[in-house]
Amino acid sequence: MRREIRSGDYEFVFAGNGIEALAKLREHKDIDMVLSDINMPEMDGLTLLEQIPSVDPNVRSVVVSAYGDMKNIRTAMNRGAFDFVTKPIDFDDLRITITRTLETIELWRSALESRDKLVVLENELSLANRMQQSILPTSFPESDSYQVFASMEAARDVGGDFFDLLPIEGGRVGLAVADVSGKGIPAAMFMMSSRTLLRGAAIGQSDPSKILREVNQLLCENNDTAMFVTLFLGIFDPETGEFVYANGGHNPPVIFRADGTPSLLPTTDGIALGIFPDIIFQENSITLAPGDTAILYSDGVTEAENVEGEQFELDRLYEVFAEAPPRDARTATDDVLKAVNAFADGAPQFDDITCLTLRRGGGAE
Amino acid sequence: MVNVTTERIDGVLSADVEGRIDGSNVVQFEEAVRTAIEDSDRAVIMDFEKLVYISSAGLRAILLTAKSLQNRDAKLLLCSLSDRIREVFEISGFDKILPIHATKADALDSLNN
Repeated sequence: MRREIRSGDYEFVFAGNGIEALAKLREHKDIDMVLSDINMPEMDGLTLLEQIPSVDPNVRSVVVSAYGDMKNIRTAMNRGAFDFVTKPIDFDDLRITITRTLETIELWRSALESRDKLVVLENELSLANRMQQSILPTSFPESDSYQVFASMEAARDVGGDFFDLLPIEGGRVGLAVADVSGKGIPAAMFMMSSRTLLRGAAIGQSDPSKILREVNQLLCENNDTAMFVTLFLGIFDPETGEFVYANGGHNPPVIFRADGTPSLLPTTDGIALGIFPDIIFQENSITLAPGDTAILYSDGVTEAENVEGEQFELDRLYEVFAEAPPRDARTATDDVLKAVNAFADGAPQFDDITCLTLRRGGGAE
Repeated sequence: MVNVTTERIDGVLSADVEGRIDGSNVVQFEEAVRTAIEDSDRAVIMDFEKLVYISSAGLRAILLTAKSLQNRDAKLLLCSLSDRIREVFEISGFDKILPIHATKADALDSLNN
């Protein structure tokens, strides 16, 4: 004890009573611990205990009481004393009590620091999630000629997926599903610019390959962080059923014909956007007949895992509509998400899960 | 969980990547790779035989590694991809950016020819 005091490990501030003690606490912000008698003039130790938290809630108090004075000791502990020592003071016991108290304070401090960091992180994540949700369309076209519905289930700490509906000249509609690499605020920012650039590029432009080329070009400028976005863009003409598309490294959509036959959209060459400038994207087109459905999705669907570590994969997506082809866009989207959730069965979700359904009206309704 | 085991073969860093690379451990993966790479390495071969999953955050880490190597005329090669991992690289178009080899021996051969 004397050694620690002499070596300067501990520094003492003295006060004659509770009121003085509070004044000293206010004055010396770095005080960790209060060692206090119970009987003192003007303000006793038990009252002091009640007052300390309002000055500094992180200070720990140890009270000194008469041997066997259980009533006061109990009261002190109830008022938040960390420990007590009894008179006559055994200096070894006091040394151990002080050391232990200071150690606890140390741990408490680092726990507080971790908590503060975590709070910042959590705030950042929740902000990123809100940004992500806020850019998603919430109303969808629903007419006799065609319907669209989409939904995105965000993973807890990954924010990367988005989808969008773009008005294209000639009464057509652009359907996009995208997945930004990474997570948190940087991913959310990149997502915002991807979406804005996509919307901008789609003005006065109706070739999906040219739109992707423009978005890629702009994303590549000043992209030091090597962020990228995979993006599928299809443009649907409700008049003719023509679906023209280009793909920037995204999972190819699945087509369910009116009779229930599934197939993958024939692939087109493409690389995720934001990596290489001057890429020329291929374009392809199919015709959706009345009753045909296109399901656009992100890898969060096909790569959803169950507790055994198996992935959902395309086959299970096909199975969702094995008994009956999709009847309407909203139900189909819900069915896919339900099937993924049932498959995962509580296993952690590593990635955002996005599904967008386009169904041409008519046919077997 | 991701484990990176490295050895140096004739000025080439070989890194066996085991487990999964996703948002939860991508920082750990980047750190492991960055600290293993030395300026004298003329190439890095990542062996993905035991890699079971890679998210887009993981792809970005690979891309960053490739770019930083490229800045000093070194190369990043990949080898031994499972079908599942290969598919991820094919869909995203990353197979067009990075050389992918069937085996580590093939990857080494390509460097020596």
